[in-house]
Amino acid sequence: MENDALKDKLDALFRLQDLDIMIRELKDPPTKGTEEKMGFSVAHLEKLQLARTRLAERIPALDLRLYERISRHFTHAIVSVENRICLGCFMGLPTSAVSLRTEPGMVRLCENCGRILYWLDY
Amino acid sequence: MNGNHPVLQYFSPDLFCASIQATAKRDVLRELVAVASAAGGVRGPELLLEMLERRESLGSTGIGKGVAIPHGRSLAVIRMRVVFAIARKGLDFDAVDGKPVKLFFLIVAPPQDKKNEYLPLLGRIAELVQEKKARDRLLKVETYEQLQAVMEDVLGGE
Repeated sequence: MENDALKDKLDALFRLQDLDIMIRELKDPPTKGTEEKMGFSVAHLEKLQLARTRLAERIPALDLRLYERISRHFTHAIVSVENRICLGCFMGLPTSAVSLRTEPGMVRLCENCGRILYWLDY
Repeated sequence: MNGNHPVLQYFSPDLFCASIQATAKRDVLRELVAVASAAGGVRGPELLLEMLERRESLGSTGIGKGVAIPHGRSLAVIRMRVVFAIARKGLDFDAVDGKPVKLFFLIVAPPQDKKNEYLPLLGRIAELVQEKKARDRLLKVETYEQLQAVMEDVLGGE
């Protein structure tokens, strides 16, 4: 139950990051131009902005502030963990961090780079 | 198994769907995501589906001539992958030319792309399906080996 709550919290941040990546890429003139040249329509970016606003409203303020603070320093505030490696800085995580990953309600940060860690194998 | 052309490293037999069962746009995306997920390339299929639907809300990735290339980046994706699927009868995907879509390339990638492979791959596939001969040959594909042979041929010796 508590793990479900943590997963929901992380999933919301995860969705926010996916949206932010899409918005950022489609605002980037070279990427937008390339997509349009390929024949893809990218006409309604305001829909993504609106979806982002709505999603952000559903995220607890503390978590949102944490995400936005980290986003100011890194392109990707949330990174996945694979084989106990943070895929943001590629440093190994201590065993303690791995064992604490499902502590109720806690969002885990990489001790080395400070990014939010996301284990998808709950 | 994956052929010699660099583009084929993102394809595999378990990412090949010879006949899509779905008949509605949302169900097609769900089916393509399920194929990617079953092949082990995706850890959060619902999150990936949501990202793809958001991308479609900007405008259909049905680029016309019976082809759709749903695409995007998500943390749910472990490694860049391409699902190739055929809807034999064609289906409504809100394509830009209004025509039914028969050929689907689902391209998904993780957020980090250090080698900058995602956009070039998307571009290469979008480019190759512009050729009628390539589309006609892809439509006749029934096995992964046939797909591999056609792709090797149409991509040429890059």
